[in-house]
Parts: sequence; structure tokens; C-alpha cells
Amino acid sequence: MNDELMIDVRDLHHAYALGAVVEPVLHGLDLRVQRGEFVVIMGPSGCGKTTLLNVLGLMLSPTRAESVRIAGHETLTLSDAARTRLRRESLGFVFQRFNLLGTISVRENVALPLRIRRVPVDGEVAALMERVGLLECARKKPAQLSVGQQQRVAIARAVVARPALLLADEPTGNLDSANAGAVLDLLTDLHRRDGQTVVMITHNEHLTVNADRVLHMRDGCFVD
Amino acid sequence: MLRLAWADLTHHKVRTLLSALAVGIGIMLMLVSRGLASGSMAEVDQRIQSVDAELVVLPAQDNIIFTNGAPFRAIHERHLARQADTDGPLAQTIIPVFFGQVKMAGQQQRLFGVDPAQMQAFLGQRRLVAGKLFDRAYAFAERVRAGARPPEDMSDPAYHAYVADGLELVIDERLQRVGGYRVGDEIQIMGQVFRIVGVVEAGVAGRVFAPVQTLREIAVAGEPTASMYFIKLRKGVRAERAVDAFQAALGTDARVELKGDYGKLLRESFASVGLYMDASSGVALAACFLFILLTMYTMVIERTREIGILKSLGVTRLDLLRLAVVQALLISLSGVAVGIGLAYGVRVFIAVSRPLLTVELAHGQLLLAALVGVVGGTLSALYPGYRAARLDPAVALNTE
Repeated sequence: MNDELMIDVRDLHHAYALGAVVEPVLHGLDLRVQRGEFVVIMGPSGCGKTTLLNVLGLMLSPTRAESVRIAGHETLTLSDAARTRLRRESLGFVFQRFNLLGTISVRENVALPLRIRRVPVDGEVAALMERVGLLECARKKPAQLSVGQQQRVAIARAVVARPALLLADEPTGNLDSANAGAVLDLLTDLHRRDGQTVVMITHNEHLTVNADRVLHMRDGCFVD
Repeated sequence: MLRLAWADLTHHKVRTLLSALAVGIGIMLMLVSRGLASGSMAEVDQRIQSVDAELVVLPAQDNIIFTNGAPFRAIHERHLARQADTDGPLAQTIIPVFFGQVKMAGQQQRLFGVDPAQMQAFLGQRRLVAGKLFDRAYAFAERVRAGARPPEDMSDPAYHAYVADGLELVIDERLQRVGGYRVGDEIQIMGQVFRIVGVVEAGVAGRVFAPVQTLREIAVAGEPTASMYFIKLRKGVRAERAVDAFQAALGTDARVELKGDYGKLLRESFASVGLYMDASSGVALAACFLFILLTMYTMVIERTREIGILKSLGVTRLDLLRLAVVQALLISLSGVAVGIGLAYGVRVFIAVSRPLLTVELAHGQLLLAALVGVVGGTLSALYPGYRAARLDPAVALNTE
């Protein structure tokens, strides 16, 4: 066991059952990511990138694996409650579709992870919003923002509780190139400041420039 | 969680308002039906308590709410009069009452047939507002006591002349106000024309009084029967012991009770009717809470993706269940507030449109409404909350 590893996945298999049809997606993946590493995973649609990210994010239990260690915890044997706790305390997500809650304000969206952890919401949220350039939008609803702004809110929400591992699934997939560049800069900046481990999925070769490592997937396997 | 619950409810204002209104209507139905029943019973009880007597003698088998007719005969009154101890008869006064029905001010009223000579026992401290406490009826009652009998044939003019003096009514002020009656007005009762001769302050045992001798003559050919008795005890007689003595004398024909227990007897008699009313209210409330359940369930379906987001942020199943319960409670408690407001509105409406009815909105009933809201709201949120808690986060996040 290596405590320097944020992610240590061995022989990971996953298949989706669609009625009587079983569709294998991941075929014996191995993945090790060091703490503080910025890893980009690339690959064609349907190769299993999002499934892998869902497994790493403890939102999907793999069909079979030898080991899935996240932040030092063997997650295969964790109860649902323990997986939820680990997700709450150690993981942050950035999604392609932003996934902001439309009924609450931008500020409340950013503060949500702190409220869920029952941590006092003090200047941290305001400071972070200033840093992502959205302080003046704090009281607005997400739908009142541009897509680029919405993704910055989503990133602020993902990092506000300083998770050890940040998982980003195509975070620039819905953005134009200018916004995509800004979002990547923001992610890189936050990664460098806080030393978080980042695993990012993308189709965009241009977004790999700041990565420590780039992995390529095809048909449920790494091809590097 | 409270912020999220509140934000979601205010985001869907119309749906939230409709849900709260549905609960409010159910709560209002419950409060008004129970309030109408308890208000009427409390009012009847208060009026009975105003009679200057300690005991009541009621038919053994009858439901006292629906007591009618006159099952007690002269022999019962004689038995009551005979009960004595070493100091003399237990009863100072036996007050027979003969019930009839009369429609006045647009609704059926219980007509109290009482001896004009005993009318003061019903008046107590209350004032005579207008007219007299009977007039020629005293003479009529005296003639009956002296053994006078009318002709057998009711169509004989001599029969009408015989009862004419007894065709008098005394009504209470509330009925007078609602019906717009005045002394001298004539009312048709059991084929005879009665005349209002007096108006007394509200709060007396009956709203309409007629001479017992007249009602007996018209209804049972002058037989000295009674629907019930009030008994005023001789000074110094213990009421509980007198109850036992009178009960033993009358056997299973009657039940002798303390006048103070009349309210309890009313509630017991009302139990079966109350059960029906409670069942009706219960069905209405169940439908309302089913509405909340469907609303919550719809919310869960609509918010599947949001639930996935919350799960990705580490919200526990228990928290999701709590979120659903908090939302349902906010709806149902708003509904309770709406229901209580509506109930007060209906009470005002009834007071204006049906002034003889009383809707009692007691604190206990309002608390019960709040309790129903809390329990109903919680129960209606459990299944949707359970569904939300069980959602697979990865699947939920990919839901459109």
C-alpha cells in the first residue's frame, strides 16, 4: 500500500446490464495517480471514460475489481454510508453540464458543499467567488449566467471544500474555445494553489498542456 | 436542507400553493364539522345547565340527541315523587318536559313543553325581554289540573275553544332575532296556531317553550306523559344518593343522571354520529395528503437529476429523506394555517347565514389540526423521500 497514491485501481471491470443484455465497458483497468498529480484522460465517446470517473467518484460500484483505493480507503468494501461520507469529505466534481441547482442562488450553489458538511459558510465562499470573477453575480440564479460563468460556478462549488481529489468530466465540453481556455486556466490555477489531485476527462488536445500525465482510453482499456 | 426545501417550494409557487390549499380545505372540513358538533353540544349543555335542578331523568335506551316522543307515564312521575328519606320526599320539584318539533327561523327547533307554573325554573337569572312568561296558558293549565277534558272530536269547535288558551309560545331572544319574530306573531304547530306571548334572554334550556298541557293534549290526548324530567332536590339531599334512589325506583325504563353530566351524555350519544363525521373528515384529509404525496413524488421524478447532484456532493440518504419530509411539512403546515384561516372564515359565514348554529374552534381542535398536518405531511413524504434516497447517483445525474 502506498500512501502517496490518491488513486490505486487494479483490474477494474464494469458492465452495464440492459435487461438480458450485458454490455462490458471497462476491461481490467489499472490506474495509479499520485497525490497532487494532474491527470488527463482522453478517448473516443463510449470508450468508458465517464464510467471510470463514476467509479472513481464512488457513484458507481464496479462489476468486479481487485482493488479500488481512493484517498487511502479501499472503497470496494465500504458501506453506502461510508462511500457517501468519503465522497462528501474527499471528492469534488465538475460536470460537462455544470449541474448547478437552479432553485438557489449562485452563492448558495457554491456554499452547498460547506452546508452539507455543516461547516460555517464564512468568507471562503466570497473569496472564491471573487477569485473566479463572479462576486457580482452572487445573488443571481444560475440560469441568469452565461455558460462560461456557470462552469466557473461549478468549479468554485467543486473546490470550495478543498477536496483531496477533483474529478472533472468534460468540463469544457459545452464551452467555446475562449471559455474553455479560461476554465482550464482556472482549474490549473486552483490545482497549483491547493495541490489537489485532478483527474480530468476531455476530448480536447489543447487542454492537455498543463497536465502532468495524459492517458488514452479505447474500448475500456488504457492504450498508453 | 431547510434552505433547499424552501427554495424548491418557492420556485414552484403555484404547485406549492395548490398543495397547501388542498390540505387547508381538508383541515377546514375537519375543524368546521367537529367545531359545529362540539359548538352545538356545548351550547345545548350550557342551556340545560341553566335549569334550576340537580338531576335529569332520561329514557333508558334513547340517544339523547334524538330523544323525541314521551315514553314516561304518570306512574313514573308518581314513583319519583314517592322517593323519600326520614326528612321527607327527596324531590322538591319534579319538572316534566314534553318534547315536540317546530320549524322556526328556517330550521327545526326542539319545542320544550313545560308547565307554565314551572317556567321560572327554566328562566333562572335570565330576563324576560318582551311580553309575558305565558299568559292565558296559566288558566288553561289550571283547568287541566282540575280535571277538565275537551270533547273527543278534534273538529268540534268546542275542542278549539278548550285548547285556545294553551296555544302560547315563549321563545328566546336569539331565535327572535334570527327569525324576526315579535310578540303576537302566530306559528303553526301540529295543526294548531300558536301565538308568541313572550321573549326571554338567550341561554335558557329551549329556544321555544309551549305549555306541556297543550302539547300533551294535541299529541297524546291529554295523557300526562313526559319526554324527560328535571328534578330539583330538597335542600340537604345528596345528589348521588338521590340518583341511586330514583334509579332503583324507575328500574330499567330510565336513566337518572346528575344534570352536570349532561354534556358527557351528549358527547357519548354523539359518538356514533361523530365517528361518521370524523370518518368523512378523515377521507377528505387522506385525499389531501395523497395530493401532497403525489406532489412530492412528482418533485422527486422531476428533480432526479438534482438528487443526483446532491448525492455527488455527499448528501446522505437520510438527508434526502429529511429534505422530502421538510418540504412536505412546510406544505402541510402552510395548509394547516390556511385551513384554520378558512375555518374562521366559515365560522363567520355560518354566524351570518345560520345564526342559530355555533361553530366552536377550541384550542384543542386547532392543536389537533396541527398534529394532523405534521403526521400527514410526514407520512406523505416517506415514500417519495425513500424513492429519492434510493436513486442511483450515476443514473440520476444522467437523467434528462
